[in-house]
Amino acid sequence: MRWLVLLIPLLVAPLVAPQSLIYLLGLTFIFVVFVVSWDLIAGYAGQINLGHTVFIGIGAYTTALLQNPERIGLHLNVPIWASILAGGFVALAFGFAIGAVCLRLRGYYLALVTAILPLICIQLLNVYSNVFGGYEGFSVGFGKALAPNLVEEYYVTLLFMIVCLLSITLLVRSPLGKKLKAVREDEELAEAVGVDVVKYKLIAFCLSAFFAGVAGAVMVHYRLTVGPDYFDVPLMLTIILAAVIGGLGTIYGPVLGAFMVYLAKNYVFSAIVQALSLNVSDEIFLYALLILIILKCPEGIFEKIGRAIS
Amino acid sequence: MAVMLEILIYGVIIGSIWALVASGFSLVFGVARILNFAHGIFFILGAYLAVVLFPYLGFLSIVPSVLMVGAFGWFVYRFLISPIKGYEVMVILITLALALLMEQIVLAIFKDVSISFPLFLSGVVFLFGVPVPENRLLITAIAFAVIAILDIFITRSKTGKFITATSQDMEASMLVGIDVESVYSVTMAISAMLAGLAGILYAQIYAVNPETALRVLIYAFAIVILGGLGSVRGSVVASFIIGFIQTAVSTLYDPRWAEIVALVTIIVVLIVRPKGLFGVE
Repeated sequence: MRWLVLLIPLLVAPLVAPQSLIYLLGLTFIFVVFVVSWDLIAGYAGQINLGHTVFIGIGAYTTALLQNPERIGLHLNVPIWASILAGGFVALAFGFAIGAVCLRLRGYYLALVTAILPLICIQLLNVYSNVFGGYEGFSVGFGKALAPNLVEEYYVTLLFMIVCLLSITLLVRSPLGKKLKAVREDEELAEAVGVDVVKYKLIAFCLSAFFAGVAGAVMVHYRLTVGPDYFDVPLMLTIILAAVIGGLGTIYGPVLGAFMVYLAKNYVFSAIVQALSLNVSDEIFLYALLILIILKCPEGIFEKIGRAIS
Repeated sequence: MAVMLEILIYGVIIGSIWALVASGFSLVFGVARILNFAHGIFFILGAYLAVVLFPYLGFLSIVPSVLMVGAFGWFVYRFLISPIKGYEVMVILITLALALLMEQIVLAIFKDVSISFPLFLSGVVFLFGVPVPENRLLITAIAFAVIAILDIFITRSKTGKFITATSQDMEASMLVGIDVESVYSVTMAISAMLAGLAGILYAQIYAVNPETALRVLIYAFAIVILGGLGSVRGSVVASFIIGFIQTAVSTLYDPRWAEIVALVTIIVVLIVRPKGLFGVE
């Protein structure tokens, strides 16, 4: 329970930090859930899923459309919490369908097929742009925010992150988590001792999809817009980067990685770009730094630090 | 009937460009087990370099452009991939980061405008009654010639045999004195040159912009999955299948659906044959 101490600065942050940082921290909390839910399938079940943004995007568009049902020609009045949950369940359904097909593929094939999926989704968004808003996406409306003001929204996202982290921690410590680790370490051996490998991989995939979908939906009600960037490759890369820097399969590692990467990208680098008045995207720094980090410590930063200490 | 012929002819044309892209991607995977997410960057770099050099060199600009892309491929292997080759996920991550970095750099230099490369020929010929620009026939001929040369190079030349040996058994190749690291570097350079050339030819038909890199990469993925990872000949066959699907959907239905249908087809094929059409272990 010592890690609770780490929560204190986050709890008092709204009293001292400027508005822009509070807003950014809220985004970071949601991003943490993206990363940890990816780690559930990559770090715990050992499956390289490069299409995690599919679940995030599906969750996001589900809630956005349920809150704007006229776009799909319906008349509904769904409370926000229900449409966020719906986002999670629709993502779960897709996770089940995708997992049922793709998890029979091993190693590289899984990575390649899942890498393609987000791009199919982005294409579909553009084909049906009258529903999904095409490249621009659409705004969900100001009345659909998580809470009436920024500080309350901040606490909602913080609570959301904590709930997700606790549930995922409980999951990976349960017998289910142990079976997943067995699958990751040696698929054939796990099969030999009676673990139904495909079933457990599928369960992990569905859970990962559910958390990602809910987080994507929460993000929509925090940012109040939805667009193809929820599906896009830069987000996927940032998620993998955060998980890998922190160290796969450890929960706390990806959480720390997520904070570092997201804040570095959106706070530090964008400040540098503005200060130097460069006409480039702040992503250039992120990618260049990423390449350097991988070259210097391919086993992950915290892993390297941990080894250096011991 | 005329429509069928049209699909067939235009399918071969685009398929031949995909074959250049995918054979290189597949070669690197087959030999070095590297999934190179920066492959699309070689493609657009070829196109951009050739367009930049064109005012000075004319069509000769193709030669230095392809060679420079090859050198870049060699550099990428030597300094970025080789040091971390033991970490599978990191190889994916570093090449993906490189791809996005280069895309941003190209975007910063050339802005978000599309480029195209001037045509060799401007006439139109009738092939079985279907009008086909002469330039596209030339492109297809070049692509076929290059793939034939690649095949001969891999099966006949000494370097090619080293490449084949390394792809079959890396440790045994080291034991008989093959410098595996330099085989990998050369393979990467060849793969980059193939993609660079494909980019130049593609820029004669379609507009190229920084985002093209990612689209091309996705096609390369789709093709190698369909053809079977690591099988260069499988990739060539799959390139034409994808080319036909792409042109059929564009001609008969809606160009925006071309990619979606092609990608969904691949997923369906994978359900039936999890190792692709010509998959190797």
